[in-house]
Amino acid sequence: MEKSPSPLIFSVSDFIAVVNQTFEYAFSTIQIEGEVASFKVNQGKFVFFDLKDSEGSINCFMTVWQMRAPIEDGMKVIVSAMPKLTQWGKFSLTIKAIRPSGEGAIKKSFEVLKTKLETEGLFAPERKRLLPKIPQRIAVISSVQAAGYADFIKILNDRWGGVEVNVAHVQVQGEGAPDQIIRAINYFNQQELLPEVLVIIRGGGSADDLSTFNDEPLVRAIAGSRIPTLVGVGHEVDTTLADLVADVRAATPSNAAQILVPDKNEIIHLVRYQLGSLLPKILQLIEQKRQAISDMANQIINNIEVTIDNQFRTVTSLKSVLAQLNPNAVLARGYAIIRGVQAIGETIEVETSKDIIKAEVKNVVRK
Amino acid sequence: MSLENKTISEKTAELTKLVEWFDGEDFSLEAALDKYKEAEKLATDIEKDLKSLKNDIQIVKQKFDAEN
Repeated sequence: MEKSPSPLIFSVSDFIAVVNQTFEYAFSTIQIEGEVASFKVNQGKFVFFDLKDSEGSINCFMTVWQMRAPIEDGMKVIVSAMPKLTQWGKFSLTIKAIRPSGEGAIKKSFEVLKTKLETEGLFAPERKRLLPKIPQRIAVISSVQAAGYADFIKILNDRWGGVEVNVAHVQVQGEGAPDQIIRAINYFNQQELLPEVLVIIRGGGSADDLSTFNDEPLVRAIAGSRIPTLVGVGHEVDTTLADLVADVRAATPSNAAQILVPDKNEIIHLVRYQLGSLLPKILQLIEQKRQAISDMANQIINNIEVTIDNQFRTVTSLKSVLAQLNPNAVLARGYAIIRGVQAIGETIEVETSKDIIKAEVKNVVRK
Repeated sequence: MSLENKTISEKTAELTKLVEWFDGEDFSLEAALDKYKEAEKLATDIEKDLKSLKNDIQIVKQKFDAEN
């Protein structure tokens, strides 16, 4: 008769280790959706909460540094976790990542974090830096496969040229996206020759897709960038915390390109307009000069005419005076001219307007 | 600096200055023709430069999916 092998006997800690090994093999990382309950932070470092649904509940553990967004009781979340049996025999989930799930939870988390960062002054207008008017060297963080990136590059190329564009290809949605974007921000900020603008873009998406840009460490990385930032995420109606913390916010990736560089066609139009305005200006000035010369000539002619008129009036006046002095005019009024010695017995000549009379002087009486 | 070595911004600034000269107190009809020719050359150059410039787009080789 064959002897049956003796059963394997574990120590308690060995058994716990084997169970954990089995968990790791079977569920290295699992994603679970549930509602947060009994959320608490111990010693400012360790986070404990229960993840539950209507029929079950699991203990969860994580550190505060793993929290990328504010979490509260009642919030629906998706956790990435590893199941674990503790040395005290308690089953729990060790959380690797946690994010709000569903519109209500995402909105709630967004508002809590927004208030917190706003209180810290991260969105203050006085923090905002200006972008260079025409940048020569820019850094872009985006997924090069995304439609938003293609829109940005198209508009950039249509509007302007001569820009050195360095693109960091990153994931722009999903669990690893915030860390990838943060690494890209750090990469560009550590360059010896810093880009003049750091552009972060992605096209539209669901609230869950865009929640990458509400990640607290990412928002803080944008705020801490040495390079001025331009963020264009989602559509015009979408607002993320990354938008709010950026130095300049663009409504869309296309709008980011419009903000970043001037439109060369507008400049060509302006240059043509400026040049076109010069010839009429020269012609107008020639016309002004011609008019001034014409006015001066008219003035001279006018002055001559006035002088002639004055002379004519003087002559006319003198003629009138002369006419008054004409002896014939006096004779015509009935006076007479007497010539000869006016003494008794002398013959004198009397001239009237019509006759010349010889007469003898009969008497002379002195007045 | 010759015109060829100037950037678009420098040429645009120069053109603006020339246009301002036509409105300024230094304007004289005698100098206007030369200034106009200068402005015309600048405008042609700016337009040519703008049309010929291409952006240089490079994808960074560094991977960002994990700490390096």
